[in-house]
Amino acid sequence: MKLKKYLTLTRAGIIEALQFRLSAFIMVVGNILYLIIVYFLWKAIYASSGSDVVNGMTFHDTLIYLVLATALFNFMEMYTVWQMGRSIQSGKIVLDLIKPMNCRSYLFWSYSGNFVVNFFFTFLPTFIIVSAVTDGAVPLGINLLYFVCSVVMAIVINYSIDFFVGTICVYTESIWGINIMKQVVVRLLSGAMIPIAFFPEALRSVIYYLPFQWIYNAPLTLLLDGSPGTDKVLEVLGTQLIWCVVMTVLSKLFWRFSLRQITVNGG
Amino acid sequence: MKRKGLRFYLRIYRKILAQDIKSKMSYRADFIISTIGMIFTNIAGFVSFWILFRSFPSINGWSYHEMLFLYGFSLVSLTPVQCLFDNNWSLRQYVYTGDFIKYCFRPINLFFYFQSEVFDIKGLGQLAFGIATIAYSWSKIGLGFSALMLLKLIVFLLTASLIMIAMQNAAAATCFWIQNSFYVLDLAFGMKDYAKYPITIFSTVFKFIFTFVVPIAFIAYYPSLVILRPDEIPLLSWLSPLVGIVFFYLSYRFWMYGAMKYSGTGS
Repeated sequence: MKLKKYLTLTRAGIIEALQFRLSAFIMVVGNILYLIIVYFLWKAIYASSGSDVVNGMTFHDTLIYLVLATALFNFMEMYTVWQMGRSIQSGKIVLDLIKPMNCRSYLFWSYSGNFVVNFFFTFLPTFIIVSAVTDGAVPLGINLLYFVCSVVMAIVINYSIDFFVGTICVYTESIWGINIMKQVVVRLLSGAMIPIAFFPEALRSVIYYLPFQWIYNAPLTLLLDGSPGTDKVLEVLGTQLIWCVVMTVLSKLFWRFSLRQITVNGG
Repeated sequence: MKRKGLRFYLRIYRKILAQDIKSKMSYRADFIISTIGMIFTNIAGFVSFWILFRSFPSINGWSYHEMLFLYGFSLVSLTPVQCLFDNNWSLRQYVYTGDFIKYCFRPINLFFYFQSEVFDIKGLGQLAFGIATIAYSWSKIGLGFSALMLLKLIVFLLTASLIMIAMQNAAAATCFWIQNSFYVLDLAFGMKDYAKYPITIFSTVFKFIFTFVVPIAFIAYYPSLVILRPDEIPLLSWLSPLVGIVFFYLSYRFWMYGAMKYSGTGS
């Protein structure tokens, strides 16, 4: 019974997402273009490096990583900050607050339909094409299970960060600025644009202690490693779990505290 | 009707501008945060550039500092679209709500009036960042300096900036025909990130596409060759000011064509 109300939101989200076919098509065009640029750019980089392996990754490894990272990014990016900022500014947040559901869960579940649609229409096709084209470069085995667990936790971490940053909009009245800051920091430090392996040593050790790389880099590492050692898997999944808990608690506390500060003009 | 001269338009532009800046200044927090957000974007862009290219002496015959010059060049030539033509992003809302009709009733050029209404100050941070990057890489490459070179640089920067402006105008104008034009605009704007790479890294087909179809090679690559490689300037580089003007004019006609077709919402 309890789950049913959430799944209804998911269903509504799926129906809504399927309405916007033209925008989905344009997004696919944009992504293909991005990947073409990525392909040629890294080809040039590897060609001028003079060796096949750079920072422990071959050209194919890098390309597979970046293609899947892009697919994963499109699948997981939620635009929560944007949405929260707008409803705080317009006062629509009041309507979300009086719903018989926690505001944080409501926002999450009303978006969840997009996860389903994006998964089947962008991530899964990309994944199948990549594994077919590269012919076994993506190992298919127990790592898929680890990957799924890791992605679920990555979604939680990502959403909690988004929700935390979105809560800042209660104080600032600024949406664009807050959103763009979060976006560039997460995109760069999560390994969604450049594999973490290419980062300089010092920067990498700093990133290790930040939550961002556990969003995109962690699931992809587990996926692309054919036979990860048990301690490696435990380390990655364990750290993700810790970040899940920490970020969830932090974002909830911050929201509860900020709720008292919300001022809505007019009615 | 008497045609209004350039002086008239400059005067009126100053007045509209002053109003816009006043209204922006009344949301001071938003202004400051947006500016910081813009600085973040530029820093993140630079960091990813540095991570990618720091360990290679040259990419495809382009030294690190030459790539940096291209990067700085693209930042500067992308500033006008950010500062002066930011209202394109709101066009679809004006058209959708019907507010666009207010622009149609003024005895001045419709396109001019619409674009002049918003000046995005935070783009100036990018300008400063870009100029500093150009100056730094210029001195590192040891290009020498003369007044003529500076003049060339300014002329080519100005005309190169017309390319992105043209692309944004055309993309924004699609809202006169289709509903979800945000994605078109976003797709076109995303192209700016690809302008900083030398076009020689692409295969012939894409070289052609990025030169003649989606002319992003004219944002930084072709015009900066005039400064970077003065001994072997291809014809396309010399033509780039012309290309900028032609594309800008075409986009202007397209924009106006859409605006003339606009029939309001009836309320």
